[in-house]
Amino acid sequence: MKRDHPIRWSNLYLLLVFIVLYLPIIYLIIYSFNAGDTMDRITGFSWRHYLTLFADTRMISIVLNTVIIAVLSALLATIIGTFGALGIDQLKKRSLQNGILSLNNVLMVSPDVIIGASFLIFFTFLGVKLGFGSVLLSHIAFSVPIVVLMVLPKIKDMSQTMIDAAYDLGATKWQTLTRVILPAITPGIFAGYFMAFTYSLDDFAVTFFVTGNGFSTLSVEIYSRARQGIDLEVNALSTLMFLVSLLLVGGYYLLNRYNEKKKIHRAKASQEVDDA
Amino acid sequence: MAGNVIEFRHISKSYDETQVLKQIDFEIEAGKFYTLLGPSGCGKTTILRMIAGFLQPTAGDILFEGQRVNDLPANRRQVNTVFQDYALFPHLNVAQNVAFGLEIKKVAKGQIAQKVEEALRLVQLSGYGNREISELSGGQKQRVAIARAIANEPKVLLLDEPLSALDHKLRKEMQSELRSLQRRLGITFIFVTHDQEEALAMSDQIFVMNAGKILQSGTPVDIYDEPINHFVADFIGESNIIPGKMKADYVVSFDGHEFDCVDAGMKQNEPVEVVIRPEDLDITAANTGQVNVTVDTQLFRGVDYQITAHDVNDNEWKINSIHKTTVGQLVGLAFDPEDIHVMRYGEDEATFDARLERYE
Repeated sequence: MKRDHPIRWSNLYLLLVFIVLYLPIIYLIIYSFNAGDTMDRITGFSWRHYLTLFADTRMISIVLNTVIIAVLSALLATIIGTFGALGIDQLKKRSLQNGILSLNNVLMVSPDVIIGASFLIFFTFLGVKLGFGSVLLSHIAFSVPIVVLMVLPKIKDMSQTMIDAAYDLGATKWQTLTRVILPAITPGIFAGYFMAFTYSLDDFAVTFFVTGNGFSTLSVEIYSRARQGIDLEVNALSTLMFLVSLLLVGGYYLLNRYNEKKKIHRAKASQEVDDA
Repeated sequence: MAGNVIEFRHISKSYDETQVLKQIDFEIEAGKFYTLLGPSGCGKTTILRMIAGFLQPTAGDILFEGQRVNDLPANRRQVNTVFQDYALFPHLNVAQNVAFGLEIKKVAKGQIAQKVEEALRLVQLSGYGNREISELSGGQKQRVAIARAIANEPKVLLLDEPLSALDHKLRKEMQSELRSLQRRLGITFIFVTHDQEEALAMSDQIFVMNAGKILQSGTPVDIYDEPINHFVADFIGESNIIPGKMKADYVVSFDGHEFDCVDAGMKQNEPVEVVIRPEDLDITAANTGQVNVTVDTQLFRGVDYQITAHDVNDNEWKINSIHKTTVGQLVGLAFDPEDIHVMRYGEDEATFDARLERYE
């Protein structure tokens, strides 16, 4: 432990950055407990915004819609994206592989507004009714490239001889896929799923174009409510969502630690077998 | 003997313009230890991958127990491979890795457990079944890879430079272990390596390859004592290769003298190359041996001294001797007629074998 400097400048910088990042959220959270109706000043403590939120069935159903869209679109995008990545990897021609990968990346970098607008034109042209289906389809569409980008490096990392070994031991193509390739790229698939999930949860621009009447997701709903002046019910909702994400991240961290401990424990146990 | 397990008939393989295998013919008998030996890029791994079923020949037939198997995919051939980088499945533990092939074949659960146990015992890894692959050392991974292959009871086991990633001591251990494993199992092993020492130590039969061709096949002793050409003599062990002329049967001239030898069947005055192994040369006092040489360098290697010297015709001589000498000294070299091996230029294996047949 070095104690020559009373203040470590790097730590101070880090602290500052985090304060700047978290301050707006904390500000929001504090006002969610305000007894008054505005964020001008705090008039006292109260749960009343939370009570309005829980009584607001429209808001609750929109939250559920958003989560369902995120879960479903991420799931389907992960399946499509994983097989897409496997397909790209199978391509013999380097140039073709790079070409397809570029097309994939263009979708990643093109602005959401353009994707959203083009989907709106596309769906109206096809006569697809705007609503749950159109939102789901467009979310799947913008999530697939993300999944491809997360999964492809894992496929590239996998040793080709491992696949040869599976064939050599008698596995069919399908068995090789399910028993060797998919388990080997599972971390990439999970990462892709969670990225797709958060992208879908967050998305405003694309969703805004394709929601239509009667169906809405959280970001679109909050945006439309904010235009009529901020309701502190939104603060209450944001607080709850922030807490949920905090719990998820914390849970993930604990799970990782648990797995690591188990691994160390196992390693120790096998060490003892060696010594014996 | 059950006869030939594998037969290659006029096998060629080309990628675009480049031909990597040229008219390969060979037969593999059941129950022996074979080695494909050659420098990298000579086509030995291509042959192995063809036997495994990962590559198809451009021309020719591959026969497995008399049946043509050119079009039989890898997963339906009764051969298993031990890969150079082990190719173990990282998400499965040791026992699951070994059981992989058996599970694919839908062998009964109890039988799988028993066979896995047996395979791990054969490679001296009993009790390691529950280990993760990441917990193993290189040598242990190697053993698991072997266990995984032999658990399937293949007719032929293919080994693609499996020892190249191990350190010297471990490699030596694994060599003798593989050899005794092959004897116990009675399975045909086909081993690919560029290490001539490894090939000589382990094999019943060696195929020496270069540039897509099999140059010579035979037992380690045959190939070491009677290399067919310059390349083989140089690649297998150390050798002194000196240009000479065949004077008559059993008489060869090189270095300005005529020597008795044990080779025959060549034309009179045919230009030849003479091979004498460094360990067959004895250092004697000057003018008492067959040749006089001046010592240039001397290197102590533990078991012996590696000495280089030159004669009056500026031929370089390599000598391995257990006796020390002095750099700059003039010494004699003594060798017997049996130590001289004569090679003809451009002789192919069939004529070479036929010629040896005639006078041996």
